[in-house]
Amino acid sequence: MKFRTILAVLAGLVPASMIAILAFLAIYAWPAVDFNGISFLGGMQWNLGSLYADPVNVGGVDILPGAGYGILFLIVGTLLSTLIALVLAVPIGIGAAIFLAEAVPPRPRLWLSFLVELLAAIPSVVFGLWGYAVVVPLMAHDVFPAMAQMLGWIPGFGEPTGSGFGLLTSGIVLSLMIVPLIAATLRDAIDSQPAAVRESAAALGATRFETVWRVILPGLRPILIGACVLATGRALGETMAVLMVSGNALNTLPQTIYAPVSTMAAFIASQLDSALQDPTGLAVRSLAEIALVLCIISIAVNAAARLILAGFDPRDRRGA
Amino acid sequence: MYTRHPRRWSKFALLGAVALGLATAGGASAAETGRLLETGSSLLYPLFNIWVPVYSKSHAGVQITTQSTGSGTGISESVSGLAQIGASDAYLSNALEKQHPEMLNIPLAISSQMVNYNLPGLNGEHLRFSGPVLAGIYQGKITKWSDPEIAKLNPGVKLPDNTIVPVHRTDGSGDTFIFTQYLSDTAPDWAKSIAYGTTISWPSVNGALGAEGNQGMVNTVNQTPYSIAYIGISFKGATDQDKLGEAMLENRAGKFVLPTDATVQAAANAMVAKTPKDERVSLIFASGANSYPIINYEYAIIKSNAGDAHTAQDLKTFLRWALNSGGGNAASFMQQVSFVPLPASVRKLSDAQVAKIGG
Repeated sequence: MKFRTILAVLAGLVPASMIAILAFLAIYAWPAVDFNGISFLGGMQWNLGSLYADPVNVGGVDILPGAGYGILFLIVGTLLSTLIALVLAVPIGIGAAIFLAEAVPPRPRLWLSFLVELLAAIPSVVFGLWGYAVVVPLMAHDVFPAMAQMLGWIPGFGEPTGSGFGLLTSGIVLSLMIVPLIAATLRDAIDSQPAAVRESAAALGATRFETVWRVILPGLRPILIGACVLATGRALGETMAVLMVSGNALNTLPQTIYAPVSTMAAFIASQLDSALQDPTGLAVRSLAEIALVLCIISIAVNAAARLILAGFDPRDRRGA
Repeated sequence: MYTRHPRRWSKFALLGAVALGLATAGGASAAETGRLLETGSSLLYPLFNIWVPVYSKSHAGVQITTQSTGSGTGISESVSGLAQIGASDAYLSNALEKQHPEMLNIPLAISSQMVNYNLPGLNGEHLRFSGPVLAGIYQGKITKWSDPEIAKLNPGVKLPDNTIVPVHRTDGSGDTFIFTQYLSDTAPDWAKSIAYGTTISWPSVNGALGAEGNQGMVNTVNQTPYSIAYIGISFKGATDQDKLGEAMLENRAGKFVLPTDATVQAAANAMVAKTPKDERVSLIFASGANSYPIINYEYAIIKSNAGDAHTAQDLKTFLRWALNSGGGNAASFMQQVSFVPLPASVRKLSDAQVAKIGG
């Protein structure tokens, strides 16, 4: 009985800590939530106010004159960079999974899969540094001008091509970070399909590609959706890599796909020491409010992914 | 599989661990190395980096660690007690000083700030800018290099028609503080709508970039043609090496000057008399035909009730060395970072503040 209680307490620490984090964030951010109201999510101006002026009292709260907090540009930046990352990573991830599961003989398959999974082990700050040193100059000098010339007729793809720091670069770096998630999960799922399915498809005259594309993958749709949602969760919370390549836009929405943006996670990291300069403390609490919003979105996305993945056993073929 | 006498083995292991722990703890207190953490201004960082090796050679009992994190971090970490020396180009605001009356703002040197740009073909010319023109650029009112406001100040120069990319600091920055003070002093609409600070709400300008630290500003301007940025003078070596353009700024007398020892000294001579006892004062926009408009004190933000007596003593010894014209304030150090040593009157005020540091 005693061992069981110890186990129960230790196991309970994990969900308890998650609830504790959410509770701490909510309590700490409450003065900011109260002050900012609903215009926090829709406002376009993140303004700490005049740091060197004396605080004034507005509606019972001490604030710096001119202070107002709105994070619409952050929400847009986060969603757009995640969207671009997914658009790039999903086809590549599916392609890699099919290639690894079908087209590679067993021996090299082990090593290649190992390499793909290792991509997920690279720390995000390393991705950020590589992005800063290699991707940004490459985009600025070669890729973006060529894109603007060829695709300039699409709204949002034309001039100016900017400096290489921006939305598309962040999307590219993020996509590299989430491809292993999709590829590894899907490859495992394709592998675990019973041989009988492949044999019956072959017996009907299907080519290898047709077998995968029309028979196996459609049945794995929930797994694919689950993996993509998990990848979305990772991309939403990514801080360091985005911080170094996004251009850190403040209070502006990107006009083109090459323009600088800012994401919620990167913003909190880069603005914390500035916020500590605010003698009223409201700036730090507003950063905590951003953290709360990001936390809720992340938890919701991850919960959805887990539910989708949990309700599906790849060996249990229903439909298709 | 059990060892022969499991209980005896585990007892020895426990004793060994305790002994090791005591030995290291005892060892640490026996060595008595004072540790000072300096963090903050990226403008002051190069000077600290040439000070610390020289100081450590003659003062072996103190280990000083330096970090370049931005003046905002320097102030907040000094206030919270995480760092013993908060380096900052900005003094504490009235509100912060009222909240934390034990904080001392001690000038260690006089520095200045350049405005650098990257115009292919024109980086050798020293283009002229005034405060209102710079304010217009950073507000998005002046968007092209060929704008008549810029052309008016630079007759005879063939300015390209490209869009200006203004670069600003994303971290809490003393450079932002002194640059925005210059803009506030020269452009009334900037003073009214935006004012100055280590962090401000930069007006939204299409394509404007943010960079972290002075080194980040140098890198961004170097990588981005048609950009303009404000960079601390201690990075002149880096901007010269990258062949970036350096601007001449309009001073209060209407003349356009570069930041040289002579122009900074002239501005200092005009402004230092105004320095109050707590040494919190702006030196921006000095009068005088040869004065450079953006100069400032480099502050060490120190908590006067600095931890234990040992740390306080280490701090005082270091600061006295730094302020001494034979020690840290010697021309040999200052010239390497293009700073100007403190005048004697200010040194006296700083020494008086150092005396206030008590355990």
